[in-house]
This record gives sequence, structure tokens and C-alpha cells, in this order.
Amino acid sequence: MSELDAALTVFAQEAEELLTDMEDALLSLETKPDDSETINSLFRAMHTIKGSSGLFGFNAIVGFTHEAESVLDKVRNGERGIDAELISVLLDSKDHTAKLIEHCLTQKEAALPASLAADGERLIRQLTGRQTTDMQQSDDSVQLEIEGGGEISVDDNWLISLEFQKDAFRNGMDPLSFIRYLRTLGEIKQILTVAPEMPVGDDMDPESCYLHFKIAFQSDANKQTIEAVFDFASDDCDIKILPPNSKLEEYLNLLNAQDDNHVKRLGDMLVQVGALTQNDVNHALQSQQANVDAEQEAPGKPLGEILVEQHVVQQPLVDQALKKQEQTKQKLASEANYIRVDATKLGHLINLVGELVISSAAMNLIVERHGLSDAGDVAASMNALVSSIRDTALELRMVQIGETFSRFKRVVRDVSKELNKDIELYISGGETELDKTVVEKINDPLTHLIRNALDHGIESPAQRVAAGKPAQGTVQLNAYHESGHIVIQIADDGSGLNSEKILDKALANGLIKPDHDLSQQEIHNLIFAAGLSTKDKATNLSGRGVGMDVVKKNIEALRGSVEIDSIEGEGTTISIRLPLTLAIIDGFMVGTGQDRYIIPLSMVDECIEMNANECEIDEIQHYINLRGQVLPYLRLGDYFHNQIADINRKRESVVVVKFGQTKAGFVVDELHGEHQTVIKPLGKVFERLNGITGATVLGDGNVALILDVQGLIDSAISSKHRKIPAYKP
Amino acid sequence: MSNLIRRETGHAVAVQEQVGQYLTFLVGTESFAVSILDVKEIIEIANVTRVPLTPDYIHGVINLRGSVVPVIDLSARLSRHCSEVSKRSCIVLVAVETSEGSQLIGMLVDEVREILEIPPANIQPAPDFGTDIRTDFIQAMARVDDVFIILLAISRVLSLDELSLLSDLAQSQEHLVANSD
Repeated sequence: MSELDAALTVFAQEAEELLTDMEDALLSLETKPDDSETINSLFRAMHTIKGSSGLFGFNAIVGFTHEAESVLDKVRNGERGIDAELISVLLDSKDHTAKLIEHCLTQKEAALPASLAADGERLIRQLTGRQTTDMQQSDDSVQLEIEGGGEISVDDNWLISLEFQKDAFRNGMDPLSFIRYLRTLGEIKQILTVAPEMPVGDDMDPESCYLHFKIAFQSDANKQTIEAVFDFASDDCDIKILPPNSKLEEYLNLLNAQDDNHVKRLGDMLVQVGALTQNDVNHALQSQQANVDAEQEAPGKPLGEILVEQHVVQQPLVDQALKKQEQTKQKLASEANYIRVDATKLGHLINLVGELVISSAAMNLIVERHGLSDAGDVAASMNALVSSIRDTALELRMVQIGETFSRFKRVVRDVSKELNKDIELYISGGETELDKTVVEKINDPLTHLIRNALDHGIESPAQRVAAGKPAQGTVQLNAYHESGHIVIQIADDGSGLNSEKILDKALANGLIKPDHDLSQQEIHNLIFAAGLSTKDKATNLSGRGVGMDVVKKNIEALRGSVEIDSIEGEGTTISIRLPLTLAIIDGFMVGTGQDRYIIPLSMVDECIEMNANECEIDEIQHYINLRGQVLPYLRLGDYFHNQIADINRKRESVVVVKFGQTKAGFVVDELHGEHQTVIKPLGKVFERLNGITGATVLGDGNVALILDVQGLIDSAISSKHRKIPAYKP
Repeated sequence: MSNLIRRETGHAVAVQEQVGQYLTFLVGTESFAVSILDVKEIIEIANVTRVPLTPDYIHGVINLRGSVVPVIDLSARLSRHCSEVSKRSCIVLVAVETSEGSQLIGMLVDEVREILEIPPANIQPAPDFGTDIRTDFIQAMARVDDVFIILLAISRVLSLDELSLLSDLAQSQEHLVANSD
């Protein structure tokens, strides 16, 4: 039972992946309808799902996928064209298949619900119903092709070159009989007899054959058959058969269509599509071998080159075959390089690596404390190893964000149809990597933000045209790395945020009071407050005012932040900034009094000495002059423990941190330097604590807290400037 | 196997119903007790890292075999003054159930006394008033040698919702203080 369950899990996983691939393929077909590789992958997806469902006896799935598969098979063979309508039906079919699979997995034995069955039948009708008309269309196009091909040109003939050897007559060969026999296969358009080696006068031996023939031959026969005509003569004659150019295209297509499950040799590939016969290849290989033997040092010419030189195959065919071969190699290489690993195992490994980092820090501390110089070298090299193990282990969990992004193509497509808007999604930076655990958690907030952009942001085509914008709206998804963080941007060219509307709503909801003087940025940030929606009417997509606060909360739970940037009438850009990983970071350890804190190293810009002579210290205003720029600072010890400033300050340092565009200084007593920081969650008790994001265990077993730089800056800003009205009774 | 487990837990329940075992400890000079089934571990007080911007009853966090565990100053939580750490001070670790599984929380107590067996007959419901601690913190009163010991309701005393909420409030208070400066 459990084995079957395990197999079912694998089936479910595989099916899900296949369906995701299928969706991607379908969406890419919308722009590139002729990509045979994509059509193949569609077919394979349906075929594989049908096969595996059959194994488990899920007849409903088999029945449905079979229909879809046959349609796709027709498309693959060019019997049916693919258009937007078919893609639409296929997308629905994909969804239907997913539903069927879910049904079969959850309620194994139960019959299909009527609605599901009806959906299936409707889709099958749509899939197959159009087929008849399509067939007619494709018949037409075939006829057209034949008519077009009716024009005879030299290019369209087989070129056969026969170079009989001198002994041909003596061996009982009659060149004429071969040529006559050739007629039975097709029409000889032109025949050229050449005698380049014909000696003059008495030197000519009438019993020897000096004649060579070049034949332009029109036939539907394949190369193999044509070659078979000269089978007997092969010992006494050099036969070269060059396929007509019209065939070339066919060969190229066949080459493309070859399955790429294993790398084949160039010769085999060409033989398989019919461009070459085995004889040609053997011949070419022999001459290749001969060349190698003759010139020991020089590497043998590639087979392709020899084949072209011998005039048995055209250059483009060889090029195409080589390209295909290379593609297959790459594909196989990339397939072979993946190992499916249970995510929990990986998580366990990363936890262990975390403990390793802590233990190695402890060891370093002991080595340092006891002044063991000889152990120091070993410790240092181990330290380096540990940190590269750490980096590699974390990289294991890094995935590209592109997959997550491309899922939104479907969302945008469906939602824009539902809203009767014309919206295009542009994706960039899909190759940007981040931790899988982060990716999983960012999906919901992203979906929400994109739906928002589609529903609230982009106006209807009529409104857009009236505002002088193109009718088609655009939403851009972009991702890039910035100092240890990933920034994900969702930009739309819609109407932007209406500050007045937001203010009105916020006033009505009691979020702000009329006498508040808010900056544009602060007004925009109000949309993250709970219960605020500027959409007058709630739709089933968005507009209920729940969501943006959840989005912000979810992102903050990942130690990230959201920024909003909007110009009314021009669009809105929302930037999400997330840490790359939730497990281990490079930290910078500082100390105030007895306490030690970690600042994420990626945010540390520089460290300077707090010196009254160099910096204009202003004890009341709390800012210093950093090379001509105003740098506000926070005295960590005072801020955290609310101590009265000590008059006899020790030598202090300022750690300049940078977060996005904001710079600030943290004044600390001591700088301890870089520290590999394994992030330990602080747990539920401290979940609302601002300014601290987590903790770490130091080498000496003590706990140090990790500072939330942005949280600190924000709360410092709010306590300094805003006089925090919300807290006043 | 499952039978065995069921029997064991059944056994434990039976013991609790007949004669409950309770860990008694001192907070200041008062005796309190918690059910031994709630207690995971008792450790000596070691390096505690204080957490800034938190109320008094959050003593700090400790490293417990690689995990970071919060420590609550029980004295402050029961609305008394903060406890002075002495060599008799101990941390009693208890598991508190949350929606995401159980979390370990340490309680800083001034002295751990003994494990007492208290028959149910000696356990009485909490009085409506008359004690200086919040009544919902009291699970029951146990009579031991004619002295009453308060049995603490751990789920209330260490309510995560409340602890996290209050740390928030305290923070805003600190902001107010910082602000008025």
C-alpha cells in the first residue's frame, strides 16, 4: 500500500511538472506557433500523463488525455494548424487534466462528478470538432504546395554522378543498362557524359571504360532506392547521389524532429533521415581513416567536411545535423546534471552546516585564546573550508525566479480576458536566483500584487486611449540582485495611485487625522494599511482592502520590505526587497557595553571612528557630517536600553549602514568584525519586536541578536519626526 | 506499538488523576508549583542575552544546545519586582503549545525546591480574590502540610499571544519615553 502511495506521489509530482511545462509551452506557442520542439513537448506531456495514468488505472484521465494527445499528434505531423483558439482549448484541457488528476488522487474509486465529466466532453468536442475543418484546410495547403512544386527546376532534381572505373567493361558492367534501369524509378531530365581521362589516339583501350555520367534525375524514390540501382556497380564505380534541394528541406525537418534521447553520430543521423546511405557514410569514414593514416599528426577532417567534399550531401544539411547533435548533447547534459533531492534532506543538511559554522567559530575562539600558533593555520584553513561548504550548501537551495515569474503569464492572460483589458506581461531577470524557501513564500504576495496591477492599475482600453496611452497596457516583472538582497519589481503603466482618494479613504477610516502633513511617499504607503481600498467597487479579483496589509506582513516575515513608487497617470512600481537566504548570512559583529549585535554585512557600507574633531558631533541633533553629507545616527546602547548618555564615552565607532537609498549610522563601542551568522529564529514571543530579526549562537555559546537595519531606521524615523501620534491616548 | 503508547499515556493520566506530581519553586519568598508533566528540563542559569526594547518580564534569550530559547522572569511576570539572579537561580524549561507546534520557554525562578505528590483531595479551586496575582494565572491551590501553594496555569502565564503583545506595548512605551526626552 505504502509503495503504491509513494508511486502515486511520484505520479502526482511528475504530472504537475508536466502540466506546468505544458502551460509554458502553450503560452510560448502563442508567440511562436511553428516551434516544432514546443509542440513535441506538448505531445510528450499528454502522452506521458496518459501512460502513467493507465498504470494506475485512472481511466478518466486516460480517456481525456488520449483525445488531447491525438489532436496534438496531428498538430505535430502538420495535419492540423495551431491557432489561438486551439491554444485556448488546450489550456483549458490542461486545467481539466489537472482537475482530473486531483480527483483521481483524492477520491480514487469515486465516479467523476457530473460537472467534471461534462467539462471533459465539451473540451473533447472542442478539440476534435474543429479537426474536420482543419483537415480540409491542410489538404488545401498540400495541394498548393504540389502546384507550387510543379515548376521544374534543375535544383529540384537528384544529381547522380557515376564515375566508372576503367575495368568496368571487363568486369561485365554496362553503364547503359544501369541508366536504363534508373528510368524505371523516375525521369532522367538531363544526362551529361564526360570523359576527362580519355587518352588520345592509340593509348585508348576500347575495352576500358573512360566515361563518366552526370545525371539530373527526377524521382520520388528515396536515396536508398536510387542507390540500390547501382548496387552491382558499386565496386567498379564511384557513385555520388546528391539529393534535390526540395528534399533538403524535408531532411532538415526530419533532422529537427529526431528524438533527442541519446546522442547519435553525425553519419547515423543523416542516414536515418535518408540524406545519406550507409554506403556513403562508410565510404567517407574510410577516407577519413585514410587521411588520418596518411598524416599521422594532423587530426582527421571531420566527417561532415568529408561528406560535403565528396558531394554526397549539401552543406546546410551537415550544419543542421551538427547543430541538432550539439543541442541533444546539451539537453542530455543538463538533464543528467539534475538530481531530485527531498527538500527536507536539504534543509537538514543546511541546519547541520549551520551547526558546523558555529562549532568552527568555537574552535577558532579556543585556538585564539590559548595562542596555539601551529593550530592556528589548521584552524584558518578549516575556516575557509567551512565557509565554502556553507556557501555551496546554501547554493543548493538557490533556484531561479524565472519559473515563478512565468506562472504569472497565465494569470495575466486569464485576468485580462476576464476584465476585457489588453495587457502584456514582460518578464526580465528571470535568471536571478534566490532561496527556494523564499520563492515559495513570495508566490502569494506576488500574485496579489500582480492582480492588483491588472485590476486597479491598468485602465480599460478606452480610458487608456482617452488618456493618450497605447490601448495595450503593460505589466513588467523584473528581478535583480542588490547588495545581498533580491529586488523584485512589479511595474505597470496604468493610472498610478490617486493620492487624494487614498487620503480621503484613510481619513474616513480614521487611519490618519486631518492635521497630518504627509509626504507623497507616506501617503502611498497608506495602501499597506489594513482595510483601505480605493476601488469604489469590490470585484472578485481585488478591491476589498484586505490583502495589501497581508502582502506587507508576509514580506516582512521574510525579513524583506516593500517600497511603492507611483506617479499619477503614469503608473506604479512596487519593489520588494528580500534577503537571498533565510539560513546563514555574513554578519558584522559590533558591541555596545556587554551586548553584542550582528548587522548583516551586506548592509554595512563602512566603519568610521566617532571622533569629535573629524565629525561634527551634535549631541542633540544626532547627526554627523560624513564627507559633507548629513548622516543621522543612532546610539545603539542608548536606544536599546534607554540609558542616559555617559559623559566619559570610550572610543566609539560609527557603522554606516545602507538600506536601499537610506544611509544611517549606528554608534557602537566595539567593532568585532565579520562573523558567519547562522540565523536562529527568535520564536513567537518576539515576533512583533521591531529592530531585531533573529538571533545567532556565537562561538563561546552566547547568543547575539541580529539587527533589523530597516526596522531600526524606520522606528527611529517614526519616533523622531512623526511624534508617533498613534500611541497617544 | 500503538497499544503500548496508549497504555503509557493512559497510565500517566491515571497518575495525574490519582496523585499529581508537582515541581515546587520559590519566586522571591513565595512557593509556587507547576505540574511535573509540563516541565521539560531544569537548568542552571548561564549566559543570558538580554533583548532590547522588551518589557521587564522578558529576561532574555539563552542558547539551549543550539536553539535560542526565550527566558521569562517569573517574578516580573507575576507583577513583582525583577528577580535578582543568585547562585540558586534556575531556569525551568516548559513546552508551550502553539499553532505551529510546541515552543520551549524558560522560566527564571529564584530557587527550585522539590517534587511533591499532591492527592487530588488536597487541590482546591482558586479563590476569586485574595491573592495579589492575576486569578487567571492560578490553576488551583494545593494544600501541603497546611500551607497553600499556588499551582500556576502555565498556558496562561506563558501565553505566547500575550507575551508577544505586551512586548509590543512596552516597546511603544519606550518610544514614548525616548520621544518625550
